[in-house]
Amino acid sequence: MSRYVLRRLLESAVTLILATIVVFIGIRALPGDPARTLAGEESDPATLAAIRSSYGLDQPLPVQYLRYVQKAATGDLGRSPRTGLEVADSIGHALPVTLQLSAFALLIAVLIGIGAGVVAAVRRRKPAEWAANGVALLGLSVPNFWLGQMLILWLAIAYPVFPASGFVSFFDDPAQSVRHLLLPALVLGSGLAAIVMRQTRSAMLEALTADYVRTARAKGLGSAQVVLGHALRNSLIVVVTIVGLQLGALISGAVVTEQLFVLPGFGKLTIDAVFTRDYPMIQGVVLVTATAYILINLIVDLLYSVIDPRIRVGGTAL
Amino acid sequence: MTVEASTLDIPVAVAPAGMRRRVLRRILRNPLAVTGLVVVCVAALLAIFAQFVAPFPYDQVNFNEPLRPPSGTHWFGTDSFGRDQFSRAVYGLRASVLVGLLSVVFSLTIGVPFGLFAGFYGVLDPVVSRLTDTLLAFPFLVLAVGLAAILGPSLTTAVIAIGVAQIPGVVRVTRSETLRLRGMDFVAAAVAGGAGDAVLLRRHILPNATNALIVQATVAVPGAIIGEAVLSFLGLGVRPPTSSLGIMLADAQTFVRDGPWMAVFPGLTIVVLALALNLLGDGLRDALDPRESRSA
Repeated sequence: MSRYVLRRLLESAVTLILATIVVFIGIRALPGDPARTLAGEESDPATLAAIRSSYGLDQPLPVQYLRYVQKAATGDLGRSPRTGLEVADSIGHALPVTLQLSAFALLIAVLIGIGAGVVAAVRRRKPAEWAANGVALLGLSVPNFWLGQMLILWLAIAYPVFPASGFVSFFDDPAQSVRHLLLPALVLGSGLAAIVMRQTRSAMLEALTADYVRTARAKGLGSAQVVLGHALRNSLIVVVTIVGLQLGALISGAVVTEQLFVLPGFGKLTIDAVFTRDYPMIQGVVLVTATAYILINLIVDLLYSVIDPRIRVGGTAL
Repeated sequence: MTVEASTLDIPVAVAPAGMRRRVLRRILRNPLAVTGLVVVCVAALLAIFAQFVAPFPYDQVNFNEPLRPPSGTHWFGTDSFGRDQFSRAVYGLRASVLVGLLSVVFSLTIGVPFGLFAGFYGVLDPVVSRLTDTLLAFPFLVLAVGLAAILGPSLTTAVIAIGVAQIPGVVRVTRSETLRLRGMDFVAAAVAGGAGDAVLLRRHILPNATNALIVQATVAVPGAIIGEAVLSFLGLGVRPPTSSLGIMLADAQTFVRDGPWMAVFPGLTIVVLALALNLLGDGLRDALDPRESRSA
């Protein structure tokens, strides 16, 4: 156990270091003087000099990199020249919006995906399976932002059931929060639901032909108990992995969804930063995303090894 | 042994013409895959011959006819500038197909050699794995955002962002195929026959990995096309006045109430194209690799 955990920790650390190098080099790959880029278009020589010394741009690159990592590790991501606010603070305000949206989307995706996947596997070669397969294929082919546009057109404009924009925190007003987040979460979760459905279906099909399922049936268990208690339980491992792998897609999707539904989250912060050339903000956002992604993947992997002991024994999987 | 390795007749286990015909026959027997293939071909032709198909120039402004609903003259209606939406969609298709193809070619060009080396030379494996993990740590859109900040938004930026995001998948498929093939008897036979690494990789391993790569690529293209639409929608990809389905959808945002058709038709175009590619991809996977088949 400890050897596997140690190896994964080490791998994640190396990946994280590489990611910080990429982010660090990224902003220096910009054409022109980095001090000028950091300061914005119209800035006097005094400001430039101040920025140069505060960012240590007069130091050699490795020294600059170490300073950058040191500051980032203590939560200092610099200050946005556009808003004048600390980048870390802005991210801190936007993050809860995105986390609530993503959690809601994940819940929808897992519920719909697993439900449809089980139905499709149990009702083989019946209309229910074709319907589930068809919807999943559609889910993979419909761009989520367009689905969002259509839902707004239908449920916010033609029949104003849901608001087309705005955010209410779940912790302030749960009912209003769900009303505001249902459409965005549906949009964000649709693609993931399709992927989860396909994986659940194939894992279930395999599980349903396994010996332990036949044993369970033979000893007289009801079919609900066989399907849910035995086959589904073993299929869930696959679902956990897929959700872990799709995390990046979820983050990307959140950017678009927030833009569409005007939610003041992480994604909107990112896009606004690009269009205002707010480089410290871009750097901070990219670094936080990469770090979060690496950490969550590490957690998923470790969870996975808890669920399925074969993984930590096997060591290297192909 | 006096015979040279290159002239030695070692069974190379590459899909012979007969097998290729069998694959084609399997696809043609699958009505969904055929539908996909036909739609994809039509879309490709429309994209190539856009200037002959489109009834109007894509950037022709007509202030006498702003926001007209679909009609006999304007099949998809007109936008706020009176531009014919059908013509713009046909040209938009060109951007979609171009970005879809180029980004997949880009990811294959970089991903395949890395995957081959990682699978073939055990020493390189951890290095390549860490590099792909690092790439994966940057979600596609975050990557695109960074690139757009550096390169500026353009079609090239979209191609690179989508292509780079697809590299890890290509590396993984190529690597695992290489690992699998490296242990096969015909590779051992080639080694015994004196084949060098370059010959092994090029003549024995890569040709046998193509099936898996074709499947990977067909899965990647619809994703890339949707990716292009997303990037252009956000303003990170193709720039106006060039038409793109994503740009059309971004323009539609402002006129959701007054011109809903502006959002409906470009979106449907993407859905039909992506659906066709997914159907074709599923059919190809079933035909090339019956073990991985959906109906297995």
